[in-house]
Amino acid sequence: MVRKEDAKVLGPHSDQASSDQSWVLSSLEHDQLVRAKKHHIPRRHLKGPELVVLWALRIYLLFMMAVVVYQVWIAAH
Amino acid sequence: MSVGSQPPQTTRIAGKEEAVVITHEDVDRAHDRVRVSAARAQRGFFSGARLLWLLVGPGVLVMLGENDGPSMLSYAATGAKFGIGFFIPFVAITFCMAIVVQEMTVRLGAATHRGHAELIFDRFGPFWGWFSMIDLAIGNFLTLITEFIAIRAGLGFFGVPPWMAILIALVILYAALMSHRYWTWERITLAAAAFNLVFIPVALMTHPNWHSVGHSLITWQPLPGFNKDTLLIVLADIGATVTPWMLFFQQSATVDKGLTIKDIRFGRIDTVLGAALATAAAVAAILATAPLFAHQMSADNFQAAEFAQALQPLIGRFGASLFALGMVEAGIVASITISTSSAYAFGEVTHKPHSLNLPMGQGKSFYSVLTLCAAAAAAIVLIPGLPLVYVVLVVNVVAVLAMPPALVFLFMLVNDKEIMGNLVSPVWANVLSTGVVFILTAAGVLFGISVIAPNIFAALGGK
Repeated sequence: MVRKEDAKVLGPHSDQASSDQSWVLSSLEHDQLVRAKKHHIPRRHLKGPELVVLWALRIYLLFMMAVVVYQVWIAAH
Repeated sequence: MSVGSQPPQTTRIAGKEEAVVITHEDVDRAHDRVRVSAARAQRGFFSGARLLWLLVGPGVLVMLGENDGPSMLSYAATGAKFGIGFFIPFVAITFCMAIVVQEMTVRLGAATHRGHAELIFDRFGPFWGWFSMIDLAIGNFLTLITEFIAIRAGLGFFGVPPWMAILIALVILYAALMSHRYWTWERITLAAAAFNLVFIPVALMTHPNWHSVGHSLITWQPLPGFNKDTLLIVLADIGATVTPWMLFFQQSATVDKGLTIKDIRFGRIDTVLGAALATAAAVAAILATAPLFAHQMSADNFQAAEFAQALQPLIGRFGASLFALGMVEAGIVASITISTSSAYAFGEVTHKPHSLNLPMGQGKSFYSVLTLCAAAAAAIVLIPGLPLVYVVLVVNVVAVLAMPPALVFLFMLVNDKEIMGNLVSPVWANVLSTGVVFILTAAGVLFGISVIAPNIFAALGGK
């Protein structure tokens, strides 16, 4: 059903807010509705090799950022 | 179904029957989907063309958006420093890498109807989610600064003072948002992005040697010398085509546009079309400044205005003005898309409403993040004495360095059968995307060696 607060802000569609809105449901897939997105997708357990890759890339990125800062420092001096 | 006049309908959400709550955002998106369904129901060339017109957007925007201020400066510097040769096919290859990467975001968005940040948080948890968000926030903010640098420099060619240039850019950015409708925002931004192709007539005005262009495309010759300058330009050109904000933006825009699994083919066409247009503009920028290489002009510290001024004796005031305007457009379109990507990600992570279909009252946090990011970056550009050229260089390098971790998250999500079902990446796509991760990581490592141990780099044949 259309909530009253939503119906108030429908703007150009306000006429439709008070009439049948089932066309909205037939036009959108169920998980496209804003309401459906309030449900979280279940968390996935990361496996050992995946964690190794993620940590390796995190360390790589932090190290390379330090290199960039070093380069900026060199350039500034 | 009307407000209170009929019993509430229910729909199956996450496996449970729930009362349907339709929001303004749903209604707007449903309007867009009705038009798509109507076009799809018809047969013939014109209905196919209409369907394409309705479904293009995120791919073209992300690719032309990535032809941003620092990218076009990087291409201009490439042409001025190396002329016609290795870098023309190289830039085309980098856009092929971008297609491989961005196509995955189309599939993810269409299959899950969730933004990239939201999926990372939900599937991998807040620990990895926040890492990813910090990378994005820092990268986006730094890149936004460089967009305003390009706008300031481009309008500087016409004598516009910096504060006025920044104000003009912010007004255009906010004007695009005023419709509070994804479709209108997308069409306005697409129209602005089309101006990126202005580099093509500029290139034609320089009367390129087409024989040399064809030769370089086939042979990748002449090769540049292997040294620190070349490496920096290589990194900058890679950073000009594949960056983390593109992943977040295209997936979120795909979701906001309402694309579904049925639309993935058009999403791919959209991405390839965007890449083709962006490649044409990028190569044109290289060709436009190649005469500076032929005249042996040093363009080491050129910004947009200096490139335009240097080109003026060769292509006249009109051509130079087009070049400067092209830089301004590149900065404006990218500032719109990048600040939007930040706002989408913020909304997805905090579970606040995040859509360009939201009226201002419902999307306060979304529009606030979008406008505040842009305004803060714009303000920094007005700081007197800021080494603008150096900032541009550093931002491009940071974009390349941040890409491998972002790509691994994307790779894991797009191969996740639980959320993707049959739309997981095929083997060939995984091989290509793994190759992209290796190329980007290797480029970053080479950059690190050139900074920390320049002697080792020289021993390998560089200077």
